[in-house]
Amino acid sequence: MKRALAVEQLKLRRSMVVVVTTVFVVLFIPLLCVGFVAIAKSGGAGAAALKAQAMVVGEGWEAYMGLLGQMVSVAMFIGPGMVVTWAFGREHSDRTFPSLFALPVSRRSIATAKLVVLAGWGLALIVLLLLGSVVAGLLAGVGPLDDVDLAPRLARLGLAGFLTALLALTIGFVASVGRGYLPALGAMILLTVMAQISVLFGTGGWFPYATPGLYALAGAEGIPEVSALQMLLVPATVGIVAWLTLRWWERAEVV
Amino acid sequence: MTETVPIEARSLVRVYGEERAVDGVDLQVNAGEIHAIVGLNGAGKTTLMRMLLGMVRPTAGTALIDGHDVTADGSDVWKRVGCLVETPFAYPELTVRENLRAAALLHGLERARIDAEVAMVIDDFELGHWADRRSRALSLGNKQRLGLASALVHHPSIVVLDEPANALDPAGVVFIRDLMRTSAEQGTAVLVSSHHLDQLARVAHRISLLHRGRIIGTLDPSGHDLEEEFFDQVYRYDRERGAA
Repeated sequence: MKRALAVEQLKLRRSMVVVVTTVFVVLFIPLLCVGFVAIAKSGGAGAAALKAQAMVVGEGWEAYMGLLGQMVSVAMFIGPGMVVTWAFGREHSDRTFPSLFALPVSRRSIATAKLVVLAGWGLALIVLLLLGSVVAGLLAGVGPLDDVDLAPRLARLGLAGFLTALLALTIGFVASVGRGYLPALGAMILLTVMAQISVLFGTGGWFPYATPGLYALAGAEGIPEVSALQMLLVPATVGIVAWLTLRWWERAEVV
Repeated sequence: MTETVPIEARSLVRVYGEERAVDGVDLQVNAGEIHAIVGLNGAGKTTLMRMLLGMVRPTAGTALIDGHDVTADGSDVWKRVGCLVETPFAYPELTVRENLRAAALLHGLERARIDAEVAMVIDDFELGHWADRRSRALSLGNKQRLGLASALVHHPSIVVLDEPANALDPAGVVFIRDLMRTSAEQGTAVLVSSHHLDQLARVAHRISLLHRGRIIGTLDPSGHDLEEEFFDQVYRYDRERGAA
């Protein structure tokens, strides 16, 4: 298992997809939030200002963190989703899958190593994203820090972001079964849309792919608190997906 | 006590829908022996090798490596096996050296020996010039060399190579022939497939002719005209089959 971990870690470290995604999520999302808050604050009447005013509720850090909550659930699904698509789909698209047979390291270990490394990277990504967001907020002078208790908000966003990154592992299962990138990208779009629809219909709490997003925003206007049972469905879903992925890797043949 | 056979196929069958890709193949490769399988495209060479390496499950029959059923994934027996079937072990984002390190790790080579063995194999396969370049920048021929080096970095005693001369220049083909010959002299069991009769079959101790999923005969590696003998057997088999 240690050997599989070392190899998967190396592949992840050298991947351009990982570098681009990390930079994009960690830099672009905080800048976007800072920009939206500034536009909303400007009080203009243009299309961008009206849109920003609709998304930014409240003032200062409160508003900034609320907006970040909306961004985190999407960014932490699409960003890790792209990397998970690459990590699993590439073995088929680059035709390296047959190289993972006839080894003393089992394919179950290789798939486990992929899941572990991706989960670790997902955790690092949300930590960096939150750090980047605080730094961007401070540099942009979003508002006085005395009015808001940042720690619980950050912890909530951190948990929501990490759980979302874990849910993105679902896409690895689709990339494995579909043997490539396209089915995985399709699944990523489908799950994102389904999560949005479930929230619109008010059933999002029971759809695990929407739950962390609702948890991140809970307490905001019109967003109910997520129940413990609803939250538990998220790790349960991740567990089922991980089991299905490992099982596929154990049994798959070269085609 | 009977000695275990390094590579053994017992009545192997693989069916895809209506197609019997491999149709009851028995085959053995002994230690120190090069056994070549020759056949036309689609004869079943790759499917046979895939079954022997656990990449594809047999519909019937058994594939054994050193007496172990190959369906056991992650077994230590694979430490003794090196293979190149289809695409070479070459992750494009990794350098040649990193690819070889990864291959050595996955093949179970002792960690303390990895750097030295990687350096040696880079030298042996004349990959020094590209050692620290990403493998996506390699030509097809050098990628194939990297694949062969990855398959052999851990000094396997059982080697399975499917069309190893693919994309290699004439110097590369000579290199492969010498490599197989030297490996066999050191006791390695080598199973190699080829559709180019004179390229690799000449160094084999045994040549089996695979056609329509069956071993239909053998060729004498020292024979004068392997090609003529090959086609004679293929046409005879097809005629008899058609008549039956």
